[in-house]
Amino acid sequence: MPPIIEAEHLTKFYPPKTKAVEDVSFSVDEGEVFGFLGPNGAGKTTTIKMLTTLASITSGKAKVAGFDVAHDPSAVRRSIGVVPQELTADDELKGNENLVLAAKLHHVPRSEVPGRVKDLLKLFDLEEAANRRVRTFSGGMRRRLQMAMGLVHSPKVMFLDEPTLGLDVQTRTKVWDYITRLNHDRGLTVFMTTHYLEEADGLCDRIAIIDHGAIKVSDSPAHLKEKFGGDVLSISMSGDTDLSEFLRTVPDVSDVTREGRVYKMKLPRTERALPVIIEGVTSRGLAITEISFSRPKLDDVFLEVTGRSMREDEGGGQDSWVQNLNLERQAS
Amino acid sequence: MFDDLSALTGRALRKWIRNPAAVLPGFFTALFYLALFGNSFNPTSLIPSNMGGFQLTPAELLSIKSSILTQTFQGAATYISYLTAGIICLILVFNMAFGGIDLVLDRQLGFLSTLLTAPISRGSIYFSGVAQNMIKAMSLAFLTFLIAILLPDGLILGKGFGVLNFIGIFGAFALLAFGLSCVFTALALSVRAIDSLVAIVNFATFPLVFTSTALFPGAGFPSWLLAISNENPITKATDSARLLMVNGVLSSSQLSTLEWDIAYLVVFAAVMAIVGYIAARKALAPV
Ligand SMILES: Nc1ncnc2c1ncn2[C@@H]1O[C@H](COP(=O)(O)OP(=O)(O)OP(=O)(O)O)[C@@H](O)[C@H]1O
Ligand SMILES: [Mg+2]
Repeated sequence: MPPIIEAEHLTKFYPPKTKAVEDVSFSVDEGEVFGFLGPNGAGKTTTIKMLTTLASITSGKAKVAGFDVAHDPSAVRRSIGVVPQELTADDELKGNENLVLAAKLHHVPRSEVPGRVKDLLKLFDLEEAANRRVRTFSGGMRRRLQMAMGLVHSPKVMFLDEPTLGLDVQTRTKVWDYITRLNHDRGLTVFMTTHYLEEADGLCDRIAIIDHGAIKVSDSPAHLKEKFGGDVLSISMSGDTDLSEFLRTVPDVSDVTREGRVYKMKLPRTERALPVIIEGVTSRGLAITEISFSRPKLDDVFLEVTGRSMREDEGGGQDSWVQNLNLERQAS
Repeated sequence: MFDDLSALTGRALRKWIRNPAAVLPGFFTALFYLALFGNSFNPTSLIPSNMGGFQLTPAELLSIKSSILTQTFQGAATYISYLTAGIICLILVFNMAFGGIDLVLDRQLGFLSTLLTAPISRGSIYFSGVAQNMIKAMSLAFLTFLIAILLPDGLILGKGFGVLNFIGIFGAFALLAFGLSCVFTALALSVRAIDSLVAIVNFATFPLVFTSTALFPGAGFPSWLLAISNENPITKATDSARLLMVNGVLSSSQLSTLEWDIAYLVVFAAVMAIVGYIAARKALAPV
């Protein structure tokens, strides 16, 4: 099956001298959640604007749902749902009136409109607010309404520009939950942008890190972390025998250091190497008394590929996330 | 296309009706214009009873006033009867000109972007702008007409006034409103800031109004102004509506003037619709 979004060498130039997006290529498969991760001004919104027919393409080309964005914009518009970065619901209309209007403008058959509006209000927990003017909505309610408006015509592809911008942690988690559900239950393809690292990490099947208009890397969050970060494993032994030599022979393990009975090492994924380590330790008549590891964050990846870190308020600090090992966790 | 147009226009009108702050001032403006222009500017009330040493009797004064109305004001029964058509055109011009503010706001608030990513024709966005402004302004026009009739010393319709007169009057208003709405809608879709719209509109509306016969009879114009005024669509609409209000039944020469003026307005509306459409398409294209 061909990809549902295909961008080839997309470039957007705003005269006199802003190259908002430069030579960006990527593709998104049907049913994927694909994320554009990048700081303010990276070119995320501009890319979405080009893909959703709002901005002209300076050079390169893009196809969405099989249609060329520049040559067949109407067909593209019929296939997509867009939830823009700014909130665009009409303040003076009620919640449900905004939804009905969106349905009409997307040519939803008249008989299906009430049912769909009702379902979406329910899905986004807006049933009680449906009859209130949007003017009286909170930021989180508006964001949810905006998502519902983007979905009312059951698009094939959904474009979400910073879907959790300005939301508190609770509401943000809820929005993630909606996105995951739509993706799982309806097979909706999602193209989203974010500058929250944990959002990209938790939601997206694949991400592209974009900075200064260009894609730096693109892969699944797990692979990226593996490639650019890796776990830091720390184990304590029951005896004093030096295990450094052995540990260095374990595949993928590097940077082994010893402090008394405690060893630290770097490795791409703890769960893959651990059986080998345990076996080696046991065969030498020792036992592991304590074990902990820190998982890399997308932060580290970001730092590595862009040469700077995301700001502190945008996705947690730099300090790693130490957690106890869950031996049952599946390697991905 | 028609469904999109009605969905978009319906949204705008719903907002309009819900917002008393947007509707009420229109009512008061109409009342105010009629009362102000109809009385303080009324030239017949400016005639002094003592003219150059001649003391006029009340009967003489009355007869002078009525000669002025007959000769300068086309035989209108009262000054407001003459003026109403012009006031309504004035209201149409200003409402069309400033009606575009809503459209600029739609762009600024991102509502327009959601329309542009929806599978609707760009034409329906443009024509819904035209339609919403026209409906708003035409309802004010009708309201003003009613107020003028109800005012003391107000609009007295000519003998034999009938349904056809009414259709003719509001037909002329509608053609003017439509043509203006096309221009100003295209303008509003093209600008990015309300300030620019207001500046252009301020610059354009005053000359437009004051080179027409909306407020002053063409008879007093110098010849250059008369030449401009004769090509001004506001003059055409005012003259047509005025003719049909003041005179219930038209003479054959009046009828032929009316026909030419209406034909002129039809052409004006059609040309503006096309020009506006082209400009609007350009304004709505991806940047
Ligand atoms: N209409 C425009 N005219 C000129 N320059 C623009 C325009 N829109 C965006 N830019 C510039 O293009 C660059 C990318 O902007 P864009 O909005 O795509 O960033 P973004 O990644 O969405 O950022 P944010 O996280 O702040 O939303 C910025 O430098 C911006 O100033
Ligand atoms: Mg953005």
